[in-house]
Amino acid sequence: MGTVAWAPRRVSMLLLAVMLWASIPVTGQAPPSALINQRSEETVEAAREASPRTPEETFAYFEDEVDEALAQAIRQVWDPTRIRPNSPRTPWGDPDLGGYWLNAAYTPLERPDELAGKPLYTIEEAIEAFRGYVTRDASVDPATVHYDWTEFGMDIWQSPVRPNRRTALIVDPPDGKLPALTPEGRERLQTQARLDTLESRSLYERCISGNQGPPGIPFTQQTGEAQIIQTPDHVVLTMQSNSDVRIIPLDGRPRPPDSIRAWLGDARGRWEGDTLVVETTNFHEERKWRGAADNLHLEERFTRIDEVTLLYEATITDPTTWEAPWTVEFPWPKLEPPGLFEFACHEQNYGIINVMRGVQARAAEYEAALER
Amino acid sequence: MHSGLKVVTVAVVTITVIAIVSPAVATAGQTPSDELFPPYTTPRTADGRPDLGGIWQSFTTANRNILAHSAEPGAHPELLGAWGASRGALSIVEGNELPYQPWAAAQQIENYENRTLVQVTNDPSRFDTGDPEIQCYRAGVPRANYMPYPFQIFQTPEQILIVYEYKGASRTINMDSEQGAPGDTWMGWSNGHWEGDTLVVDVTGFNGHTWFDRAGNFHSDALHVVERWTRVSAYHMRYEATIEDPNVFTRPWKMSFLLYRQVEENARLIEFNCIPFVEELMYGPLGFLGRQEAENQEPDD
Repeated sequence: MGTVAWAPRRVSMLLLAVMLWASIPVTGQAPPSALINQRSEETVEAAREASPRTPEETFAYFEDEVDEALAQAIRQVWDPTRIRPNSPRTPWGDPDLGGYWLNAAYTPLERPDELAGKPLYTIEEAIEAFRGYVTRDASVDPATVHYDWTEFGMDIWQSPVRPNRRTALIVDPPDGKLPALTPEGRERLQTQARLDTLESRSLYERCISGNQGPPGIPFTQQTGEAQIIQTPDHVVLTMQSNSDVRIIPLDGRPRPPDSIRAWLGDARGRWEGDTLVVETTNFHEERKWRGAADNLHLEERFTRIDEVTLLYEATITDPTTWEAPWTVEFPWPKLEPPGLFEFACHEQNYGIINVMRGVQARAAEYEAALER
Repeated sequence: MHSGLKVVTVAVVTITVIAIVSPAVATAGQTPSDELFPPYTTPRTADGRPDLGGIWQSFTTANRNILAHSAEPGAHPELLGAWGASRGALSIVEGNELPYQPWAAAQQIENYENRTLVQVTNDPSRFDTGDPEIQCYRAGVPRANYMPYPFQIFQTPEQILIVYEYKGASRTINMDSEQGAPGDTWMGWSNGHWEGDTLVVDVTGFNGHTWFDRAGNFHSDALHVVERWTRVSAYHMRYEATIEDPNVFTRPWKMSFLLYRQVEENARLIEFNCIPFVEELMYGPLGFLGRQEAENQEPDD
């Protein structure tokens, strides 16, 4: 029976790759989680160093594809100062958001320190930064690095991702950085830090929810597809990752009581001009997205800018976790069908077994080393 | 603390093997006679198609057994008493008989006996064990339509999306599409078209891991389902499916039942993400749970 499970398999293999290699640096009293968290960068570096080709040689091999992708991309630089929504309409007159969209970006979540005070690139700088990311990804020898999202065929420059004049996804606070954590938020993140039990692993690894939100913030420059189905009284947003489905009623119905909790939260939508505004609350107590508490309030805004662009904005408010609300903004380019494919993550979650055996071995070695 | 792989066999207490002892009562599935409902004109969507939108649910117990079955206790009557027990019901299968090939009839009995067996491995042998539902796997088609959970239908001219409350699983029905299944999946690949007011859906591309019910009735990856969805009133929809699988059955067979529309104010699906509910069952024996480790600590540790 030929099971096609490309999506879960690439997740599993990524996790497996992360767990392999690497020795344990025992430094003072660091908890096991700190060690476990260090692995992935070292692993990727080790794999890259194993390549018999130089990055330049690898890049030369892919140069034609890169040139083609760049030629496409630089015609579509995202310029947030020139947004004029011009949305097609549904037969019943609402802005038409239907179709497949790409939730991916090379733009970092937070503005790098060296770009402090510079919220916008010039068009030329945006293209140059984009070229840098693409060149980096296309220089990774696919014979040595597998499933780390830079491998040829998985790296996002082969999707319609756009160069962006913004230097960070975060547009508020204006410095492009996450607001400071509250003392309570910091403590919550720290108690979460243990990683050698199944319950402490990420919801993505456990297949409880995908890595595309909510909110739909790209996960470390991975590809992520989204589908919007629209009727007069509902919008349904499906993410490729974990095939997460969010049903968004538009009829102004009341929210459920606080006692009802959901891993994807409970969404309510309304139209404000050309924009679909979705407010989501009632998140599951154990979700702890980026350390947030269960009072997390998410407001997302979807605006069709033109035939091939959906603007996505998300404001995250949780005064028990962050000192201030924060907002991200970036474009979701249109994708052509066939679009999404079933992502049966839990059914074929081979990766979690390897992950758990790996982290338990690490934790045991660490404890043994401490005793010595 | 447990370590390594371990077969977890949950004691099967019930002694009745229901599915193979089929009483010779011919039924025409579970839909009412055509005369029951007055003639009904299905409302139309904005693009003029029959409107099947809304929240629907079957009220059969076919998820336990698609064939006729008595009331019975659950797998752990010593723990759950009447909570674990379930109702008896007539069959949703036309003729109350499944035309298994001889080997498949034996396989169904084995499936039934092992229906609560869970053996989590990191290779495909994990799918040879118990009922996929007990492990929170996608239910497949047609089973998802008669599980004891509602589902919601959303329609556009090109696609019909069905979102099932169980697991939040979804399937897209591609309307008037020539595209075949690009690969095998749990929920299959659905292509649909309208025949009058009836939505006809051709479903292929299954992976062969799903079952029809908790009684171990099963199929292979050659499963081919043709569904017919017809609204018969403002609140009712007739569901019929023809099942073909030349690897398992000697001939095609049919099932039918009625779907009821949820009309309560603010009716909605409530997220049923069952993965956290099965982690102890699936991963506890592998020693992965922190709370379990804490419980198993020796006092002198």
